[in-house]
Amino acid sequence: MLKVEKLETGYSSMQVLWGIDIQVEKKSITTIMGPNGAGKTTTLRAIMGMLKPWSGKIMYDGKDVTDLPPHSKVDMGMTMVLEGRHLFGNMSVRENLMMGAYSEKAKEKMEDSLEIVYSLFPILKEREEQKAGTLSGGQQQMLAIARALMARPEFIMLDEPSQGLAPIVVDQVMDTLKKLREELGITILLVEQNVMASLKAGDYTYIIENGRVVSHGEPSRLIDLKEVRKAYLGI
Amino acid sequence: MRRYVRPMIPVIILYLTLLLVGLSSESRWQPVAFIMFYIALGQALNMFLGMTGYVDFGYVAFLALGSYGMALAFSSFSSLGLWVILLGFVLAIIMSSLLSLAVGAIALRLRGAYFAIATIGVNEGFRYLVEGVRLWGGSEGIIISSTMKDIFGSDLSNYISTFVADIMVFVIGFIAAFLTVYIINSRIGYALMAVREDEDAARVMGVFATKYKIMAFAMSAIFAGLIGASAWTLKLTYVFPEDVFNITYTVEAIAIVMLGGAGTLTGPIMGGLIYGFLRYYLSTVLPGFQLLVVAPLLVLIVTIFPEGVMGYVKRKVRNTRFEKYII
Repeated sequence: MLKVEKLETGYSSMQVLWGIDIQVEKKSITTIMGPNGAGKTTTLRAIMGMLKPWSGKIMYDGKDVTDLPPHSKVDMGMTMVLEGRHLFGNMSVRENLMMGAYSEKAKEKMEDSLEIVYSLFPILKEREEQKAGTLSGGQQQMLAIARALMARPEFIMLDEPSQGLAPIVVDQVMDTLKKLREELGITILLVEQNVMASLKAGDYTYIIENGRVVSHGEPSRLIDLKEVRKAYLGI
Repeated sequence: MRRYVRPMIPVIILYLTLLLVGLSSESRWQPVAFIMFYIALGQALNMFLGMTGYVDFGYVAFLALGSYGMALAFSSFSSLGLWVILLGFVLAIIMSSLLSLAVGAIALRLRGAYFAIATIGVNEGFRYLVEGVRLWGGSEGIIISSTMKDIFGSDLSNYISTFVADIMVFVIGFIAAFLTVYIINSRIGYALMAVREDEDAARVMGVFATKYKIMAFAMSAIFAGLIGASAWTLKLTYVFPEDVFNITYTVEAIAIVMLGGAGTLTGPIMGGLIYGFLRYYLSTVLPGFQLLVVAPLLVLIVTIFPEGVMGYVKRKVRNTRFEKYII
Protein backbone atom coordinates (compact mmCIF):
# COMPACT_ATOMS: atom_id res chain seq x y z
CA MET A 1 0.00 0.00 0.00
CA LEU A 2 2.69 2.44 1.07
CA LYS A 3 6.36 2.28 0.41
CA VAL A 4 8.81 4.86 1.71
CA GLU A 5 12.35 4.75 0.39
CA LYS A 6 15.39 6.60 1.74
CA LEU A 7 13.23 9.47 2.96
CA GLU A 8 15.19 12.49 4.15
CA THR A 9 13.73 15.73 5.41
CA GLY A 10 13.83 18.26 8.23
CA TYR A 11 13.00 21.79 9.27
CA SER A 12 14.83 24.68 7.52
CA SER A 13 18.48 23.66 7.91
CA MET A 14 18.03 20.98 10.57
CA GLN A 15 17.85 17.51 9.11
CA VAL A 16 15.63 15.15 11.11
CA LEU A 17 15.20 12.08 8.91
CA TRP A 18 18.32 10.41 7.51
CA GLY A 19 16.95 7.86 5.08
CA ILE A 20 13.82 6.18 6.37
CA ASP A 21 12.61 2.96 4.69
CA ILE A 22 9.13 1.82 5.61
CA GLN A 23 6.67 -0.51 3.98
CA VAL A 24 3.00 -0.80 4.92
CA GLU A 25 1.06 -3.81 3.65
CA LYS A 26 -2.56 -3.48 2.63
CA LYS A 27 -5.01 -3.91 5.53
CA SER A 28 -2.23 -4.11 8.08
CA ILE A 29 -1.65 -2.13 11.24
CA THR A 30 1.94 -0.99 11.09
CA THR A 31 3.40 0.85 14.03
CA ILE A 32 6.35 3.21 14.39
CA MET A 33 7.99 3.41 17.79
CA GLY A 34 10.90 5.33 19.11
CA PRO A 35 12.02 7.82 21.73
CA ASN A 36 11.10 11.53 21.75
CA GLY A 37 12.70 13.45 18.94
CA ALA A 38 13.45 10.34 16.89
CA GLY A 39 11.48 11.64 13.90
CA LYS A 40 8.22 9.71 14.17
CA THR A 41 5.90 12.69 13.71
CA THR A 42 8.20 14.11 11.04
CA THR A 43 7.93 10.84 9.13
CA LEU A 44 4.13 10.99 9.13
CA ARG A 45 4.07 14.68 8.19
CA ALA A 46 6.41 14.03 5.29
CA ILE A 47 4.32 11.10 4.05
CA MET A 48 1.18 13.26 4.21
CA GLY A 49 2.91 16.12 2.39
CA MET A 50 2.65 18.60 5.24
CA LEU A 51 6.42 18.74 5.09
CA LYS A 52 8.35 18.58 1.83
CA PRO A 53 10.66 15.59 1.48
CA TRP A 54 14.26 16.64 0.69
CA SER A 55 15.05 13.37 -0.99
CA GLY A 56 13.80 9.82 -1.22
CA LYS A 57 10.60 8.44 -2.59
CA ILE A 58 7.07 7.84 -1.33
CA MET A 59 4.96 5.35 -3.28
CA TYR A 60 1.26 4.95 -2.55
CA ASP A 61 -0.82 2.33 -4.34
CA GLY A 62 1.96 1.97 -6.86
CA LYS A 63 2.04 5.69 -7.67
CA ASP A 64 4.82 8.12 -6.89
CA VAL A 65 3.30 10.67 -4.48
CA THR A 66 6.54 12.10 -3.10
CA ASP A 67 5.84 15.73 -3.99
CA LEU A 68 2.03 15.79 -3.88
CA PRO A 69 0.36 18.28 -1.52
CA PRO A 70 -1.90 16.96 1.28
CA HIS A 71 -5.20 17.76 -0.46
CA SER A 72 -4.28 15.61 -3.49
CA LYS A 73 -3.36 12.77 -1.18
CA VAL A 74 -6.71 13.04 0.61
CA ASP A 75 -8.36 12.64 -2.81
CA MET A 76 -6.32 9.47 -3.29
CA GLY A 77 -7.62 8.00 -0.05
CA MET A 78 -4.98 9.02 2.44
CA THR A 79 -5.56 10.95 5.63
CA MET A 80 -4.01 11.59 9.00
CA VAL A 81 -5.11 12.06 12.59
CA LEU A 82 -2.80 14.72 13.96
CA GLU A 83 -1.07 14.58 17.29
CA GLY A 84 -3.13 16.42 19.89
CA ARG A 85 -6.36 15.78 17.96
CA HIS A 86 -6.74 19.24 16.38
CA LEU A 87 -10.51 19.31 16.66
CA PHE A 88 -12.58 22.40 15.96
CA GLY A 89 -13.30 23.02 19.62
CA ASN A 90 -16.04 25.59 19.10
CA MET A 91 -18.00 23.49 16.67
CA SER A 92 -20.38 20.71 17.56
CA VAL A 93 -19.50 17.04 17.16
CA ARG A 94 -21.71 16.83 14.08
CA GLU A 95 -20.17 19.94 12.53
CA ASN A 96 -16.70 18.52 13.09
CA LEU A 97 -17.72 15.34 11.31
CA MET A 98 -19.27 17.25 8.43
CA MET A 99 -16.08 19.23 7.99
CA GLY A 100 -14.25 15.93 7.74
CA ALA A 101 -16.23 15.11 4.60
CA TYR A 102 -14.80 18.12 2.82
CA SER A 103 -13.44 16.52 -0.34
CA GLU A 104 -15.79 16.25 -3.33
CA LYS A 105 -15.90 12.46 -3.20
CA ALA A 106 -16.49 12.33 0.54
CA LYS A 107 -19.25 14.93 0.43
CA GLU A 108 -21.47 12.77 -1.76
CA LYS A 109 -21.24 9.92 0.72
CA MET A 110 -21.64 12.07 3.81
CA GLU A 111 -24.92 10.63 5.10
CA ASP A 112 -23.64 7.11 4.65
CA SER A 113 -20.35 8.00 6.34
CA LEU A 114 -22.17 9.54 9.29
CA GLU A 115 -24.10 6.32 9.76
CA ILE A 116 -20.92 4.22 9.70
CA VAL A 117 -19.15 6.55 12.11
CA TYR A 118 -22.08 6.69 14.53
CA SER A 119 -22.38 2.92 14.60
CA LEU A 120 -18.66 2.67 15.35
CA PHE A 121 -18.83 5.36 18.02
CA PRO A 122 -22.35 5.46 19.49
CA ILE A 123 -21.20 7.98 22.10
CA LEU A 124 -20.64 10.55 19.32
CA LYS A 125 -24.23 10.15 18.20
CA GLU A 126 -25.37 10.85 21.76
CA ARG A 127 -23.16 13.92 21.95
CA GLU A 128 -23.95 15.10 18.42
CA GLU A 129 -24.90 18.65 19.39
CA GLN A 130 -22.26 19.09 22.07
CA LYS A 131 -19.23 21.28 21.40
CA ALA A 132 -16.16 19.20 20.58
CA GLY A 133 -14.06 21.09 23.14
CA THR A 134 -16.28 19.89 25.98
CA LEU A 135 -15.84 16.16 25.31
CA SER A 136 -13.59 14.01 27.49
CA GLY A 137 -10.10 13.18 26.24
CA GLY A 138 -11.08 9.72 25.05
CA GLN A 139 -14.19 10.98 23.28
CA GLN A 140 -12.16 13.71 21.61
CA GLN A 141 -9.76 11.10 20.28
CA MET A 142 -12.70 9.06 19.02
CA LEU A 143 -14.05 12.17 17.30
CA ALA A 144 -10.66 12.87 15.72
CA ILE A 145 -10.60 9.35 14.30
CA ALA A 146 -14.25 9.60 13.24
CA ARG A 147 -13.60 12.90 11.47
CA ALA A 148 -10.74 11.31 9.57
CA LEU A 149 -13.06 8.45 8.55
CA MET A 150 -15.52 10.96 7.09
CA ALA A 151 -13.00 11.58 4.30
CA ARG A 152 -13.53 7.93 3.26
CA PRO A 153 -9.88 6.97 3.49
CA GLU A 154 -8.30 3.67 2.61
CA PHE A 155 -5.18 4.53 4.53
CA ILE A 156 -5.02 6.40 7.85
CA MET A 157 -1.97 7.60 9.72
CA LEU A 158 -2.41 8.26 13.43
CA ASP A 159 0.01 10.28 15.48
CA GLU A 160 0.01 9.19 19.13
CA PRO A 161 -3.71 8.61 19.57
CA SER A 162 -3.20 7.32 23.11
CA GLN A 163 -1.52 10.50 24.30
CA GLY A 164 -2.93 11.71 27.61
CA LEU A 165 -5.52 8.96 27.87
CA ALA A 166 -6.21 6.59 30.78
CA PRO A 167 -4.99 3.01 30.20
CA ILE A 168 -8.51 1.63 29.81
CA VAL A 169 -9.30 4.29 27.20
CA VAL A 170 -6.05 3.47 25.39
CA ASP A 171 -7.32 -0.10 25.06
CA GLN A 172 -10.59 1.18 23.62
CA VAL A 173 -8.73 3.26 21.03
CA MET A 174 -6.60 0.28 20.03
CA ASP A 175 -9.68 -1.92 19.75
CA THR A 176 -11.23 0.69 17.52
CA LEU A 177 -8.24 0.63 15.22
CA LYS A 178 -8.53 -3.14 14.88
CA LYS A 179 -12.21 -2.72 14.08
CA LEU A 180 -11.39 -0.19 11.36
CA ARG A 181 -9.19 -2.73 9.73
CA GLU A 182 -11.55 -5.67 10.12
CA GLU A 183 -14.85 -3.96 9.30
CA LEU A 184 -13.80 -1.24 6.87
CA GLY A 185 -10.63 -2.76 5.48
CA ILE A 186 -8.59 0.32 6.29
CA THR A 187 -4.80 0.23 6.34
CA ILE A 188 -3.26 1.90 9.38
CA LEU A 189 0.11 3.44 10.11
CA LEU A 190 0.36 4.23 13.79
CA VAL A 191 2.93 6.24 15.72
CA GLU A 192 2.90 5.36 19.40
CA GLN A 193 4.82 6.09 22.55
CA ASN A 194 2.79 3.52 24.41
CA VAL A 195 5.01 0.55 23.64
CA MET A 196 2.90 -2.26 25.07
CA ALA A 197 -0.23 -0.99 23.36
CA SER A 198 1.41 -0.62 19.99
CA LEU A 199 3.21 -3.97 20.17
CA LYS A 200 -0.09 -5.59 20.99
CA ALA A 201 -2.09 -3.85 18.27
CA GLY A 202 0.39 -3.94 15.43
CA ASP A 203 1.12 -6.52 12.75
CA TYR A 204 4.50 -5.05 12.01
CA THR A 205 6.66 -2.57 13.89
CA TYR A 206 9.44 -0.17 12.98
CA ILE A 207 11.71 1.31 15.60
CA ILE A 208 13.18 4.69 14.75
CA GLU A 209 16.06 6.38 16.51
CA ASN A 210 17.79 9.61 15.47
CA GLY A 211 15.98 9.69 12.16
CA ARG A 212 16.89 6.14 11.11
CA VAL A 213 15.12 2.80 11.26
CA VAL A 214 17.15 0.77 13.77
CA SER A 215 15.10 -2.38 13.72
CA HIS A 216 11.86 -3.72 12.37
CA GLY A 217 9.84 -6.89 12.43
CA GLU A 218 6.78 -8.56 13.80
CA PRO A 219 5.97 -7.41 17.32
CA SER A 220 6.25 -10.94 18.72
CA ARG A 221 9.84 -11.04 17.49
CA LEU A 222 10.75 -7.50 18.52
CA ILE A 223 9.42 -7.95 22.03
CA ASP A 224 12.01 -10.66 22.59
CA LEU A 225 14.94 -8.53 21.42
CA LYS A 226 17.10 -7.62 24.36
CA GLU A 227 17.60 -4.02 23.19
CA VAL A 228 13.89 -3.44 22.87
CA ARG A 229 13.09 -4.91 26.25
CA LYS A 230 15.79 -2.85 27.91
CA ALA A 231 15.16 0.44 26.14
CA TYR A 232 11.39 0.48 26.00
CA LEU A 233 10.04 -1.88 28.58
CA GLY A 234 12.65 -1.56 31.32
CA ILE A 235 12.73 -5.35 31.85
CA MET B 1 -32.01 30.93 -1.69
CA ARG B 2 -33.37 31.77 1.76
CA ARG B 3 -30.00 31.26 3.35
CA TYR B 4 -28.70 34.10 1.19
CA VAL B 5 -31.67 36.41 1.62
CA ARG B 6 -32.33 36.16 5.34
CA PRO B 7 -28.87 37.23 6.55
CA MET B 8 -29.04 40.18 4.13
CA ILE B 9 -32.14 41.61 5.81
CA PRO B 10 -30.32 43.24 8.75
CA VAL B 11 -27.67 44.47 6.30
CA ILE B 12 -30.26 46.06 4.05
CA ILE B 13 -32.01 47.66 7.02
CA LEU B 14 -28.74 49.14 8.28
CA TYR B 15 -27.73 50.43 4.87
CA LEU B 16 -31.15 51.93 4.13
CA THR B 17 -31.32 53.62 7.52
CA LEU B 18 -27.89 55.10 7.03
CA LEU B 19 -28.73 56.26 3.53
CA LEU B 20 -32.02 57.87 4.62
CA VAL B 21 -30.36 59.60 7.57
CA GLY B 22 -27.71 60.94 5.20
CA LEU B 23 -30.20 62.18 2.65
CA SER B 24 -32.53 63.72 5.24
CA SER B 25 -30.50 66.91 5.55
CA GLU B 26 -27.43 68.32 3.89
CA SER B 27 -25.44 68.60 7.11
CA ARG B 28 -25.88 64.88 7.78
CA TRP B 29 -24.45 63.64 4.50
CA GLN B 30 -20.84 64.27 5.49
CA PRO B 31 -20.90 62.26 8.76
CA VAL B 32 -22.83 59.46 7.07
CA ALA B 33 -20.27 59.28 4.24
CA PHE B 34 -17.49 59.33 6.84
CA ILE B 35 -19.06 56.40 8.70
CA MET B 36 -19.82 54.60 5.43
CA PHE B 37 -16.14 54.66 4.51
CA TYR B 38 -15.28 52.80 7.70
CA ILE B 39 -18.12 50.31 7.23
CA ALA B 40 -16.95 49.47 3.71
CA LEU B 41 -13.33 49.31 4.87
CA GLY B 42 -14.27 46.88 7.64
CA GLN B 43 -16.22 44.69 5.24
CA ALA B 44 -13.37 44.58 2.76
CA LEU B 45 -10.79 43.58 5.37
CA ASN B 46 -13.20 41.13 7.00
CA MET B 47 -13.13 39.03 3.83
CA PHE B 48 -9.50 38.26 4.61
CA LEU B 49 -8.90 38.87 8.33
CA GLY B 50 -12.32 37.61 9.37
CA MET B 51 -12.34 34.57 7.12
CA THR B 52 -8.76 33.37 7.53
CA GLY B 53 -7.66 34.83 10.85
CA TYR B 54 -4.54 36.27 9.23
CA VAL B 55 -3.65 39.86 10.15
CA ASP B 56 -2.35 42.00 7.28
CA PHE B 57 -0.54 45.12 8.51
CA GLY B 58 0.10 46.29 4.96
CA TYR B 59 -3.57 46.33 4.01
CA VAL B 60 -3.70 50.04 3.20
CA ALA B 61 -1.37 49.41 0.25
CA PHE B 62 -4.35 47.91 -1.60
CA LEU B 63 -6.43 51.03 -1.02
CA ALA B 64 -3.45 53.06 -2.17
CA LEU B 65 -3.06 51.10 -5.41
CA GLY B 66 -6.78 51.41 -6.05
CA SER B 67 -6.63 55.15 -5.63
CA TYR B 68 -3.63 55.31 -7.97
CA GLY B 69 -5.55 53.21 -10.48
CA MET B 70 -8.34 55.77 -10.59
CA ALA B 71 -5.89 58.69 -10.69
CA LEU B 72 -3.92 57.12 -13.55
CA ALA B 73 -7.13 56.65 -15.53
CA PHE B 74 -7.77 60.38 -15.27
CA SER B 75 -4.21 61.47 -15.96
CA SER B 76 -3.62 59.15 -18.94
CA PHE B 77 -7.02 58.49 -20.52
CA SER B 78 -8.96 61.73 -20.05
CA SER B 79 -10.20 61.52 -23.65
CA LEU B 80 -12.60 58.73 -22.69
CA GLY B 81 -15.12 61.12 -21.18
CA LEU B 82 -17.45 59.63 -18.58
CA TRP B 83 -16.03 56.15 -19.26
CA VAL B 84 -12.83 57.21 -17.53
CA ILE B 85 -14.44 56.46 -14.16
CA LEU B 86 -15.23 52.91 -15.21
CA LEU B 87 -11.68 52.49 -16.50
CA GLY B 88 -10.45 53.87 -13.16
CA PHE B 89 -12.32 51.18 -11.26
CA VAL B 90 -11.04 48.50 -13.62
CA LEU B 91 -7.46 49.70 -13.13
CA ALA B 92 -8.04 49.78 -9.36
CA ILE B 93 -9.16 46.14 -9.47
CA ILE B 94 -6.25 45.06 -11.64
CA MET B 95 -3.58 46.87 -9.64
CA SER B 96 -4.78 45.86 -6.19
CA SER B 97 -5.37 42.23 -7.17
CA LEU B 98 -1.97 41.95 -8.86
CA LEU B 99 -0.27 43.23 -5.72
CA SER B 100 -2.30 40.84 -3.57
CA LEU B 101 -1.33 37.87 -5.73
CA ALA B 102 2.34 38.82 -5.63
CA VAL B 103 2.32 39.39 -1.88
CA GLY B 104 0.07 36.42 -1.18
CA ALA B 105 2.13 33.96 -3.18
CA ILE B 106 5.12 34.75 -0.98
CA ALA B 107 3.82 35.94 2.38
CA LEU B 108 0.89 33.52 2.76
CA ARG B 109 3.44 30.74 3.15
CA LEU B 110 4.15 32.31 6.53
CA ARG B 111 1.83 31.84 9.43
CA GLY B 112 0.55 34.02 12.25
CA ALA B 113 2.82 36.79 13.44
CA TYR B 114 5.38 36.14 10.69
CA PHE B 115 2.79 36.97 8.05
CA ALA B 116 1.77 40.15 9.89
CA ILE B 117 5.38 41.37 10.08
CA ALA B 118 6.13 40.56 6.44
CA THR B 119 3.13 42.59 5.28
CA ILE B 120 4.18 45.76 7.13
CA GLY B 121 7.22 45.75 4.87
CA VAL B 122 5.09 45.62 1.73
CA ASN B 123 3.26 48.84 2.50
CA GLU B 124 6.32 50.83 3.59
CA GLY B 125 8.38 49.40 0.75
CA PHE B 126 5.82 50.36 -1.87
CA ARG B 127 5.51 53.89 -0.52
CA TYR B 128 9.28 54.47 -0.66
CA LEU B 129 9.35 52.96 -4.13
CA VAL B 130 6.74 55.47 -5.33
CA GLU B 131 8.53 58.39 -3.69
CA GLY B 132 12.06 57.20 -4.40
CA VAL B 133 11.90 56.40 -8.11
CA ARG B 134 9.29 59.15 -8.68
CA LEU B 135 6.76 56.60 -9.87
CA TRP B 136 3.31 58.11 -10.62
CA GLY B 137 4.39 61.66 -9.75
CA GLY B 138 6.54 60.57 -6.80
CA SER B 139 5.92 62.42 -3.55
CA GLU B 140 3.98 65.16 -5.39
CA GLY B 141 1.31 62.60 -6.17
CA ILE B 142 -1.35 62.97 -8.84
CA ILE B 143 -3.89 65.80 -8.82
CA ILE B 144 -6.92 65.18 -10.99
CA SER B 145 -9.21 68.13 -10.10
CA SER B 146 -8.43 70.19 -13.23
CA THR B 147 -8.68 67.14 -15.54
CA MET B 148 -12.00 66.32 -13.93
CA LYS B 149 -13.28 69.84 -14.59
CA ASP B 150 -12.11 69.64 -18.21
CA ILE B 151 -13.96 66.38 -18.77
CA PHE B 152 -17.15 66.89 -16.79
CA GLY B 153 -17.42 70.64 -16.29
CA SER B 154 -17.25 72.10 -12.82
CA ASP B 155 -20.84 71.37 -11.72
CA LEU B 156 -20.74 67.69 -12.55
CA SER B 157 -17.21 67.35 -11.11
CA ASN B 158 -18.46 68.83 -7.90
CA TYR B 159 -21.43 66.50 -7.86
CA ILE B 160 -19.16 63.50 -8.48
CA SER B 161 -16.75 64.27 -5.69
CA THR B 162 -19.32 65.37 -3.11
CA PHE B 163 -22.05 62.79 -3.81
CA VAL B 164 -21.36 60.13 -6.43
CA ALA B 165 -18.05 59.08 -4.82
CA ASP B 166 -19.82 58.54 -1.50
CA ILE B 167 -22.65 56.61 -3.13
CA MET B 168 -20.05 54.42 -4.83
CA VAL B 169 -18.59 53.55 -1.42
CA PHE B 170 -22.11 52.61 -0.35
CA VAL B 171 -22.51 50.35 -3.35
CA ILE B 172 -19.06 48.76 -2.91
CA GLY B 173 -19.83 48.04 0.75
CA PHE B 174 -23.16 46.50 -0.19
CA ILE B 175 -21.66 44.24 -2.85
CA ALA B 176 -18.98 43.22 -0.34
CA ALA B 177 -21.73 42.23 2.11
CA PHE B 178 -23.50 40.18 -0.52
CA LEU B 179 -20.32 38.41 -1.54
CA THR B 180 -19.57 37.71 2.14
CA VAL B 181 -22.93 35.96 2.55
CA TYR B 182 -22.24 33.94 -0.54
CA ILE B 183 -18.76 32.91 0.65
CA ILE B 184 -19.93 32.01 4.16
CA ASN B 185 -22.54 29.65 2.66
CA SER B 186 -20.24 28.08 0.09
CA ARG B 187 -17.53 25.45 0.09
CA ILE B 188 -14.97 28.24 0.07
CA GLY B 189 -16.48 29.45 3.33
CA TYR B 190 -16.21 26.03 4.95
CA ALA B 191 -12.65 25.68 3.75
CA LEU B 192 -11.73 29.11 5.10
CA MET B 193 -13.44 28.41 8.40
CA ALA B 194 -11.43 25.20 8.77
CA VAL B 195 -8.22 27.07 7.92
CA ARG B 196 -9.01 29.77 10.46
CA GLU B 197 -9.82 27.31 13.23
CA ASP B 198 -6.93 24.93 12.59
CA GLU B 199 -4.88 25.06 9.43
CA ASP B 200 -3.17 21.68 9.89
CA ALA B 201 -6.48 19.94 10.53
CA ALA B 202 -7.92 21.62 7.43
CA ARG B 203 -5.06 20.34 5.30
CA VAL B 204 -5.36 16.71 6.40
CA MET B 205 -9.08 16.90 5.60
CA GLY B 206 -8.22 17.77 2.04
CA VAL B 207 -8.53 21.56 2.07
CA PHE B 208 -6.09 23.24 -0.34
CA ALA B 209 -5.35 25.89 2.27
CA THR B 210 -3.01 28.08 0.23
CA LYS B 211 -5.45 28.39 -2.65
CA TYR B 212 -8.31 29.55 -0.46
CA LYS B 213 -6.13 31.92 1.52
CA ILE B 214 -4.95 33.58 -1.69
CA MET B 215 -8.54 33.78 -2.99
CA ALA B 216 -9.72 35.50 0.18
CA PHE B 217 -6.70 37.79 0.11
CA ALA B 218 -7.29 38.83 -3.51
CA MET B 219 -11.01 39.44 -3.01
CA SER B 220 -10.35 41.51 0.05
CA ALA B 221 -7.67 43.47 -1.84
CA ILE B 222 -9.98 44.17 -4.78
CA PHE B 223 -12.60 45.71 -2.51
CA ALA B 224 -9.93 47.75 -0.76
CA GLY B 225 -8.79 48.99 -4.18
CA LEU B 226 -12.34 49.98 -5.13
CA ILE B 227 -12.77 51.87 -1.87
CA GLY B 228 -9.47 53.69 -2.41
CA ALA B 229 -10.46 54.59 -5.96
CA SER B 230 -13.74 56.11 -4.94
CA ALA B 231 -13.45 57.33 -1.33
CA TRP B 232 -10.04 58.87 -1.93
CA THR B 233 -9.35 59.70 -5.58
CA LEU B 234 -12.86 60.53 -6.79
CA LYS B 235 -13.83 62.27 -3.58
CA LEU B 236 -10.66 64.19 -2.77
CA THR B 237 -9.50 64.58 -6.42
CA TYR B 238 -5.85 64.00 -5.52
CA VAL B 239 -3.53 61.16 -4.45
CA PHE B 240 -0.48 61.77 -2.24
CA PRO B 241 1.68 58.81 -1.26
CA GLU B 242 2.03 59.83 2.39
CA ASP B 243 -1.77 59.95 2.69
CA VAL B 244 -2.70 56.77 0.87
CA PHE B 245 0.07 54.59 2.31
CA ASN B 246 -0.73 55.76 5.84
CA ILE B 247 -0.65 52.75 8.16
CA THR B 248 -3.32 54.36 10.39
CA TYR B 249 -6.02 53.11 8.02
CA THR B 250 -4.77 49.54 8.36
CA VAL B 251 -4.92 49.78 12.13
CA GLU B 252 -8.38 51.35 11.98
CA ALA B 253 -9.62 48.60 9.67
CA ILE B 254 -8.31 45.88 12.01
CA ALA B 255 -9.91 47.63 15.00
CA ILE B 256 -13.27 47.81 13.17
CA VAL B 257 -13.26 44.13 12.24
CA MET B 258 -12.28 43.01 15.76
CA LEU B 259 -14.72 45.41 17.37
CA GLY B 260 -17.68 44.22 15.32
CA GLY B 261 -16.79 40.54 15.19
CA ALA B 262 -14.30 38.95 12.81
CA GLY B 263 -15.75 36.49 10.33
CA THR B 264 -19.35 37.61 10.81
CA LEU B 265 -21.38 39.42 8.14
CA THR B 266 -22.87 42.18 10.26
CA GLY B 267 -19.78 42.57 12.49
CA PRO B 268 -17.71 44.90 10.33
CA ILE B 269 -20.83 46.95 9.56
CA MET B 270 -21.54 47.42 13.26
CA GLY B 271 -17.84 47.96 13.95
CA GLY B 272 -17.58 50.61 11.24
CA LEU B 273 -20.72 52.27 12.52
CA ILE B 274 -19.49 52.46 16.11
CA TYR B 275 -15.94 53.44 15.20
CA GLY B 276 -16.91 56.01 12.55
CA PHE B 277 -19.58 57.52 14.77
CA LEU B 278 -17.22 57.85 17.76
CA ARG B 279 -14.44 59.35 15.66
CA TYR B 280 -16.65 61.84 13.91
CA TYR B 281 -18.62 63.14 16.87
CA LEU B 282 -15.78 63.09 19.35
CA SER B 283 -13.76 65.22 16.94
CA THR B 284 -16.52 67.83 17.00
CA VAL B 285 -17.10 67.63 20.77
CA LEU B 286 -13.48 67.25 21.86
CA PRO B 287 -11.42 68.40 18.89
CA GLY B 288 -7.87 67.09 19.01
CA PHE B 289 -8.63 64.56 21.72
CA GLN B 290 -10.79 62.19 19.75
CA LEU B 291 -8.19 59.44 19.44
CA LEU B 292 -7.41 59.73 23.13
CA VAL B 293 -11.05 58.98 23.89
CA VAL B 294 -11.61 56.45 21.13
CA ALA B 295 -8.72 54.24 22.26
CA PRO B 296 -9.92 53.49 25.82
CA LEU B 297 -13.48 53.15 24.55
CA LEU B 298 -12.34 50.50 22.08
CA VAL B 299 -10.41 48.70 24.80
CA LEU B 300 -13.52 48.75 26.95
CA ILE B 301 -15.82 47.40 24.22
CA VAL B 302 -13.40 44.68 23.21
CA THR B 303 -13.01 43.64 26.86
CA ILE B 304 -16.77 43.32 27.25
CA PHE B 305 -17.24 41.60 23.87
CA PRO B 306 -14.12 39.54 23.15
CA GLU B 307 -15.71 38.06 20.01
CA GLY B 308 -16.82 41.49 18.87
CA VAL B 309 -20.23 43.08 19.32
CA MET B 310 -21.94 40.99 16.65
CA GLY B 311 -20.02 37.89 17.69
CA TYR B 312 -21.70 38.35 21.06
CA VAL B 313 -25.13 38.91 19.51
CA LYS B 314 -24.65 35.90 17.26
CA ARG B 315 -23.97 33.71 20.30
CA LYS B 316 -27.02 35.13 22.10
CA VAL B 317 -29.42 34.40 19.24
CA ARG B 318 -28.17 30.86 18.77
CA ASN B 319 -31.09 28.40 18.78
CA THR B 320 -33.66 31.19 18.51
CA ARG B 321 -35.65 32.16 15.45
CA PHE B 322 -33.26 35.07 14.79
CA GLU B 323 -30.37 32.67 14.30
CA LYS B 324 -30.75 32.58 10.52
CA TYR B 325 -30.69 36.36 10.26
CA ILE B 326 -27.46 37.08 12.10
CA ILE B 327 -24.43 35.40 10.55
